[in-house]
Amino acid sequence: MAIYRNRYKSVIVLKVVTFCLLLLAPVPVAWAQKEACDCFVKGVVRDKHTGQPIPGATIAVLGENKGVSTDINGRYQIERLCPGQYELECRIIGYQPYTETIDLVAGHEENFTLAEDEIHLKDVEITAHRTDAPLSQPISTLTGSDLAQTRGQSLAESLKGITGVTTLQTGSNIAKPVIHGLHSNRVLIMNNGVRQEGQQWGSEHAPEIDPFVATRVTVVKGAAGVRFGSDAIGGVILVEPEELPIGKALSGELNTVGYSNGRQGVVSGTLQGGVKGVEELGWRAQGTFKRGGNIHTPNYFLDNTGSRERNFSVAAGYRKKGFGAEVFYSHFDTQLGIFSGAHIGSVTDLLQVIKNREPLVKSGFSYTIARPYQDVAHNLVKGEAHYHFADGHRIQWVSAWQHNERSEYDLHRPRNDSLAGLNRPELTFRLTTFTNDIVWDHKPIANKMAGQVGISTLYQYNLMNGRPLIPNFDQLNVGAFLIERLVQNGWEWEAGIRYDYRYLTTYRLVNRVTQRDEFRFSSASGTLGVTRSISEKLSTRLNVGTAWRAPNVSELFSAGVHHGAASYEEGDPTLRPEQAINTVASVVYDNDKFNWEIGAYHNYIARYIYLKPQPEPILTVRGAFPYFRYTQTDATFTGIDASLGWKLTDRWSLKSKGSYLRVYDQKNDQYLVMIPPNRWDNQLSFNIGEVGRWQKLFVSAGNLWVGEQRRVPANSDFAPPPPAYSLWNLTAGGTLFITQKQQVEVGVTVHNLLDTAYRDYLNRFRYYADEMGRNISLRLKWKFGA
Amino acid sequence: MLMKVECRMLGWGLLMSTALLLTDCRRADEVDPQDENELITTVRLNFTEQGTTTVNTFEFRDPDGEGGNAPTRFDQIKLKPNTAYNLTVELLDESKTPVVDLTEEIDEKADEHLMVYTATPASLLTYTYGDKDSRNFPIGLTGTAQTGTAGMGKLKVQLRHQPPVNGTAVKNGTAAPGSDDVNLDFELIVE
Repeated sequence: MAIYRNRYKSVIVLKVVTFCLLLLAPVPVAWAQKEACDCFVKGVVRDKHTGQPIPGATIAVLGENKGVSTDINGRYQIERLCPGQYELECRIIGYQPYTETIDLVAGHEENFTLAEDEIHLKDVEITAHRTDAPLSQPISTLTGSDLAQTRGQSLAESLKGITGVTTLQTGSNIAKPVIHGLHSNRVLIMNNGVRQEGQQWGSEHAPEIDPFVATRVTVVKGAAGVRFGSDAIGGVILVEPEELPIGKALSGELNTVGYSNGRQGVVSGTLQGGVKGVEELGWRAQGTFKRGGNIHTPNYFLDNTGSRERNFSVAAGYRKKGFGAEVFYSHFDTQLGIFSGAHIGSVTDLLQVIKNREPLVKSGFSYTIARPYQDVAHNLVKGEAHYHFADGHRIQWVSAWQHNERSEYDLHRPRNDSLAGLNRPELTFRLTTFTNDIVWDHKPIANKMAGQVGISTLYQYNLMNGRPLIPNFDQLNVGAFLIERLVQNGWEWEAGIRYDYRYLTTYRLVNRVTQRDEFRFSSASGTLGVTRSISEKLSTRLNVGTAWRAPNVSELFSAGVHHGAASYEEGDPTLRPEQAINTVASVVYDNDKFNWEIGAYHNYIARYIYLKPQPEPILTVRGAFPYFRYTQTDATFTGIDASLGWKLTDRWSLKSKGSYLRVYDQKNDQYLVMIPPNRWDNQLSFNIGEVGRWQKLFVSAGNLWVGEQRRVPANSDFAPPPPAYSLWNLTAGGTLFITQKQQVEVGVTVHNLLDTAYRDYLNRFRYYADEMGRNISLRLKWKFGA
Repeated sequence: MLMKVECRMLGWGLLMSTALLLTDCRRADEVDPQDENELITTVRLNFTEQGTTTVNTFEFRDPDGEGGNAPTRFDQIKLKPNTAYNLTVELLDESKTPVVDLTEEIDEKADEHLMVYTATPASLLTYTYGDKDSRNFPIGLTGTAQTGTAGMGKLKVQLRHQPPVNGTAVKNGTAAPGSDDVNLDFELIVE
């Protein structure tokens, strides 16, 4: 169910005007500044789109115990400040907090005379990002240089650095994000404000998104079903492009990334600007090309693991006074080679590969993508319009059309030559989705309470060709929600409720006759959260949220041998929706030397759908396969995410991140399969700073330790989980200023420095081959214009 | 039937998706007849005692392919001890009408297929290939089976699919390359 808006990327400008008023006194100015604590800061908080004032924002001077709220006109004023440097923090409901350093040193007294109004005036521009993410839930955002360091990687790979986020892989080039042990249909991706609709149910179906479109990627950890609708059981990933450059000058950037392993190259460029003479318009065009060949493990090449990607997007927007409209189109196109050594015909084949410890076919390097491979294209057309009413209300409408076409080519072509000559995919899915969302933000009540109410609809249909796997279907979803947020005396409360209804019809051939099945699912979701700022350094958050997920068509109807897994999997049309209740508590501490965050979560998922091993195998012409049936149980996902940043000296700093997760099947009193093992990530950095025209120069060394997953059910797998592994990496980077308006960001990283041979439990090809060996990457980002 | 017009381009320019709902050309309820690719539903082993014309046929049969209904036939192979048989194999796709005989296609693509017959215990039956592909490697569509002394066990019948990797032939006369297209453990009784 889609409730979305791209509002979280809208930007406000907090225009701060600081005044240092010197008392009219018959004393020399130089003396007055020492004792006169009569400086004040004042200004207006406005929305950048519209220039409308935002009432109810909190402005605090950190360390001074002073804070005020903006009035109905967005104005605020903080008085009785001594000259000096201050941290000014702006918090607005629905926005991520923002701090800015302001300088109230009255060092320019010579510039003014008593006759000239006795003021010292300074403009500080603060931009804060508005967010639709629940404020009381843990959020991690990748942006700026953190995001730049992940450039060239797939979306899932680039999120790996976030505590509590891992990947589910199929070989080396297909990765899906895993949040707190949940993935696929249990993680929702909002691509530019639109709910991403591909064939997410498949563990080898990676998100069809070009990360270069985004300048911010935010991960909301935990169930967030109220704001985002069904499927947000494990969390939500918000992929957000930059605000359109309405009325701005031409600017752009060019990214190039090269990887030694797979000899992969990535080029991505962006060009954007306004339109001369039409202040209200802005546009952006962006494109990415990526090509990689066979991946090398420490000891051998993996045959047919090349990939190719060609993506582009265009956007244009218009803003005038309270009105804004935007259109966006993106095209994503990828061909992914699938390691040919992972093709097996029978259980005997699989056991043979596991026994050999390495693949039979070890090819050399090649860029050729041969069978088996996937060919996936995703198109998104989005239109958005919003209007700010003069009295503070706001309404937004987002409408989107998505078309996802996925073709899968098996290793073997048909034996029949005339069929083989057609080189058709053995499987094709075509999924078309229309979504519409309308959200109304009401004006703040008594400057304390803000909220929104929304309705969203989704209509979707799926067409299948080839090997029977999932049925054709169409479905209609309708959802409505209400969220209110209240800020009072250092407490921020958040509460919301939602109701969703889904009507699904499936069409499949049973004995050559089309059979139609109807399903109706509905569910209510709720969220309740509170954030408490104990001091400016310490804050705590608590959130209880629910989310639901209807069984997907593969869970209802799949029937067949899953080739990568050498198992026979069968759906169950009587499955009921899953319901998650997620409790997250976290404490954040931040001072000059230390910052740490510790979060604990407990996600109870009622009617959790999983593949349950059945006692009798299924006999096929290729022998007997272990038989699994989609079954429901009650599962708990309990874990801790912890991170620490420690500034050892001015130059040395340490970052440490750890995550622990325990997943238990409460009904059957055992562990569940395919849960990420515990991990600990450490990074020691040396900050060189400025050298000549170079800035932000740094060198860092890191280690990632991933434990062995010992919490697995007995006799549930062909091979035990792989042992623990430890990987080292080295990174160096900096920014070269060519001119003030042109800069080149350079980064070099060596992944898997010691060329360690290892296997990862969450790689579905762990039976067949080792993971990627050493990989050296070079990133260059050239930026020009604003 | 295959190339129905799909109106994916309609999304262009028509952002008002309520309108789009009404203009969808292809509908989900028109299910495409699945899968023109062949399926091996039936493996038929024909044992002809040498010097006679008596054919003993043993069959594995799963007419709807893997899953769905269980296999309808999985015969016990009953043979005389110390007897030489000519053995031919037939592979059929009985899910199609008319039935597709895949044996011919395998013969045409003999360079990438190998039948493997393995008796356990090995003393029950010895198989000798009676055919060769263009590179002089055995195929196993015809051959001879010599039974040993009386006993009970299994006869594993495999069709190894061994297509070229990166344009290089991998079939080398052994079972190792490729993957199983057929892997059946017939019960074998020599009495």
